[in-house]
Amino acid sequence: MRYLMRRSFHGVLLLVAVSVLCFLFSDLAPGSFLDEMKLNPQISPQTSTALRAQYGLDQPLAVRYLRWVESVTHGEWGYSFAYNLPVSSLLPIRARNTLALTLAATVLAWAIAIPLGIWSAYRNGRWEDRFTMGATSFLLSVPELVFAIGLLFLAVRTHALPAGGMQSLDAERFGLWQKTVDLGRHLAVPVTALVLASLPILVRHVRASMIEVLDMPFISAARGCGIGEAKLLLTYAFPAAANPLISLFGLSVAGLLSGSLLVEAITGWPGLGPLLLEAAMSRDLYIVIGIVMLSTIFTIAGTLLADVMLVVADPRVRAE
Amino acid sequence: MGPEVARMATSPALLETRGLSKRFVIRRLFLREQTVIDALKHVDFQIAPQRITALVGESGSGKSTLAGCLARLERPDEGEIWFQGDEISRWNEQQLRSVRPKLQMVFQDSPGALNPRLSAAQIITEPLEVQRRERGSSLRAHACELMEEVGLSANLSARTPLQLSGGQRQRLAIARAIALRPALLILDESLSGLDLSTQAQIVNLLLDLQSTYGLTYLLISHDLSLVGQVADFVAVMHDGQIVEHGKRTQIFTAPQHDHTRSLLAFRRRLDADRQAASAGGRL
Amino acid sequence: MKGKRKLVIAAVFLVSLHVAILCAGFVAPYSPTVQNRDFAFAPPTRIHLVDSRGSWHWRPFVYDWEPRPNAIYEYEESRSGRRPVHFFVRGAEYTVAGIFSSNLHLFGVDAPAQLFLVGTDNYGRDQFSRVLYGGQISVAAGLLATLTSLLLGLLIGCVSGFYGGWVDESAMRCVEIFLVLPWLYLLLAVRAFLPLHITPVHAFLLLVGVIGTIGWARPARLVRGIVLSVKTRKYVIASRGFGASDTYILRRHILPETYGVLLTQAALLVPQYIVAEVALSYFGLGLSEPLPSWGNLLASLQQYNVLVSCWWMFAPALALVLISFGYHEVANAFHEQLQSGST
Repeated sequence: MRYLMRRSFHGVLLLVAVSVLCFLFSDLAPGSFLDEMKLNPQISPQTSTALRAQYGLDQPLAVRYLRWVESVTHGEWGYSFAYNLPVSSLLPIRARNTLALTLAATVLAWAIAIPLGIWSAYRNGRWEDRFTMGATSFLLSVPELVFAIGLLFLAVRTHALPAGGMQSLDAERFGLWQKTVDLGRHLAVPVTALVLASLPILVRHVRASMIEVLDMPFISAARGCGIGEAKLLLTYAFPAAANPLISLFGLSVAGLLSGSLLVEAITGWPGLGPLLLEAAMSRDLYIVIGIVMLSTIFTIAGTLLADVMLVVADPRVRAE
Repeated sequence: MGPEVARMATSPALLETRGLSKRFVIRRLFLREQTVIDALKHVDFQIAPQRITALVGESGSGKSTLAGCLARLERPDEGEIWFQGDEISRWNEQQLRSVRPKLQMVFQDSPGALNPRLSAAQIITEPLEVQRRERGSSLRAHACELMEEVGLSANLSARTPLQLSGGQRQRLAIARAIALRPALLILDESLSGLDLSTQAQIVNLLLDLQSTYGLTYLLISHDLSLVGQVADFVAVMHDGQIVEHGKRTQIFTAPQHDHTRSLLAFRRRLDADRQAASAGGRL
Repeated sequence: MKGKRKLVIAAVFLVSLHVAILCAGFVAPYSPTVQNRDFAFAPPTRIHLVDSRGSWHWRPFVYDWEPRPNAIYEYEESRSGRRPVHFFVRGAEYTVAGIFSSNLHLFGVDAPAQLFLVGTDNYGRDQFSRVLYGGQISVAAGLLATLTSLLLGLLIGCVSGFYGGWVDESAMRCVEIFLVLPWLYLLLAVRAFLPLHITPVHAFLLLVGVIGTIGWARPARLVRGIVLSVKTRKYVIASRGFGASDTYILRRHILPETYGVLLTQAALLVPQYIVAEVALSYFGLGLSEPLPSWGNLLASLQQYNVLVSCWWMFAPALALVLISFGYHEVANAFHEQLQSGST
């Protein structure tokens, strides 16, 4: 418990450091948000002056940072100049969409990788294993970018799936079941792209971990006791192999977020990715910072979750 | 801020320490715990010139730490180290440069003792390279000379440590150590892990080198039978202090301190077992 | 030895891809900027071995193409003239690495026929040539950025591991910060703060600099680990005993131990950085027209009609996959070599 508190505290420190660095870096950049705000026709001069006062945009860096922290505590997280809204009204929905996509992809990827990896390890050296290794080698070389565009192409050519977005144009009229199906159809391309991109690494790690465990004496002992192969693999070997996989899960959150950014932007899935891209192009400072902070929170949460799972799953860790 | 170059009257010891102390602190940041280990506690020690002084004691008694301080590979926290008339315990790297060639160490044969990527010739000439005494062909010639001095044939000069036997590696380590013509050679468990015949050969080599170059040896070992055969003086360490120090014959026949007695008693049992084993035809 | 053979094969494959890209001027039949407005979005030119009368020719040939009347982006072959494909032809001038120039091309057809191996884009520019030239930019960006990351990582890792203390502590905190962010988010954030519209040369250098500096953290940590473990070895302590300086120890004993790790990291980072450049350029945040890069070549696929009808515009993606595959195979084979060498 104390360990978790220490790690959370550490995470908070990291978040603060990241936010400070963001502000520092934004200060170095040429060009001013003030000017860009003035040029934006959507923002009236009164709002402009009010914003300037609230966020201290013409004040030194330290003041701006403190004002931003203040706005975070008020739940606003800064202001978007492009959308003319507080950042906190834009992020949650996008974050939800990104999480939905990445969660679905993670669950599906692990659901395929674990059986495939176990089976491949079990058949180590035979043609099934070699085929799996070759296939993962190939998949590994294809970047998510290519998967996304390629799948989109297939979807569009075969007219089987919609070409992007999260829901059909007339989705409001759908009943609950139809809405779910519609969502599923729109999820298909981005999720498949993410799954194909992350599958090879997961499969390889599961396989490697299982091979190591299957070599251990306690497995041969169990086999000698007459325990069946299936039970052996699933209840004896796999739990022992789970430790490095849980750590892998924690570390893969960051990579998954990067991948989903690309996939979202290409397939038009309205998540954090396209928003960050827009904000990067329109230099919408507070959105960029807000999304960076959010992604950091997700990554830290992922590693913390993995740590918790480790403690729960592995008695060797509990003993420490 | 120079060292105190107090020229003392030439004392009989080649190297002498007074009140030497060293402590290690292990910090654990978040929990604010500190474990303090007093490795050396006010050690007074003398090494007689051109003799073999042995330093014995159990693991953790501080032998290696003392050796590290004497060779100035570590910096002592308190106390003085007098070497050839200079007090070197507080010297910095710049000042130590002139003294380093005279204080060399030979380690135990272990995977980290010699750089496995370098050839034997390169290992031997490293000290000469570092001290920039020679270059190129004279360096190579010097390497061959040194190899012959320690009994290694020159055609081994291209081999890497992994391609040599344990005994050959120790000869290499000794060759490297005497390349700079040191006055004191510290042998930190250098003979451990070698089989008895190789040990005997290395001991003979060391004795030859001693008479040729007038070397002084500090032999750190846990092997009391070896110490009994070779050492002139014996110092016994226990828990960071030197509990007894004197001539070998005196220590072995009439030990004063409890700890020395228990060490010797254990050794006698071992020796008896060894004799019984060899008598029974099992060696 | 089997492992070594795999490494050699993978390396040869990778090197030949690079040679082809380096000699883009020679391998490509056309210059990347030449436009053929009459032949926008032309599909790949069909190469024949058998002509319309059913007779076989050893030398492959093409027919002239004409735009189909009353249609946009549709073309048909006119069976009038056979244009054989010649090898080692003289064509447009080009320079190799800006040093020497030539006009020799690997293959080509006589004018007015055109040989578009992978079709054309909306300006009628030959995609095959553009992919090769674009490869020069994209792969160079990846290689330079990797060099930057590795040099930075080596420097910081060595200093941090060797000297320890507060330098080490602060460096490791920085590593944590850089590793806690998803790399693409970090890349976009950094890119967001930098000016949008800059000259191509500046854009290239900026791209390399940005991509390179975000990736120093993992190599630095790996190098630091190696430095820490080598630092305590007896032969390093012995070196100190001879009075060796820090730089001597770093150069002689510690640096050689890092080469294996650095090479494996390089083989993994280069494809990742090429993808980073492609992604940025695809979204318009990297290199833009008229400089060809695989990213902005793929960007035309953002248009629906291009995505649906012009499958040949995927050519840069294929090139990207081939290069990635080459690097990953080399990384794998090298890693296996290292493992087997150390046991």
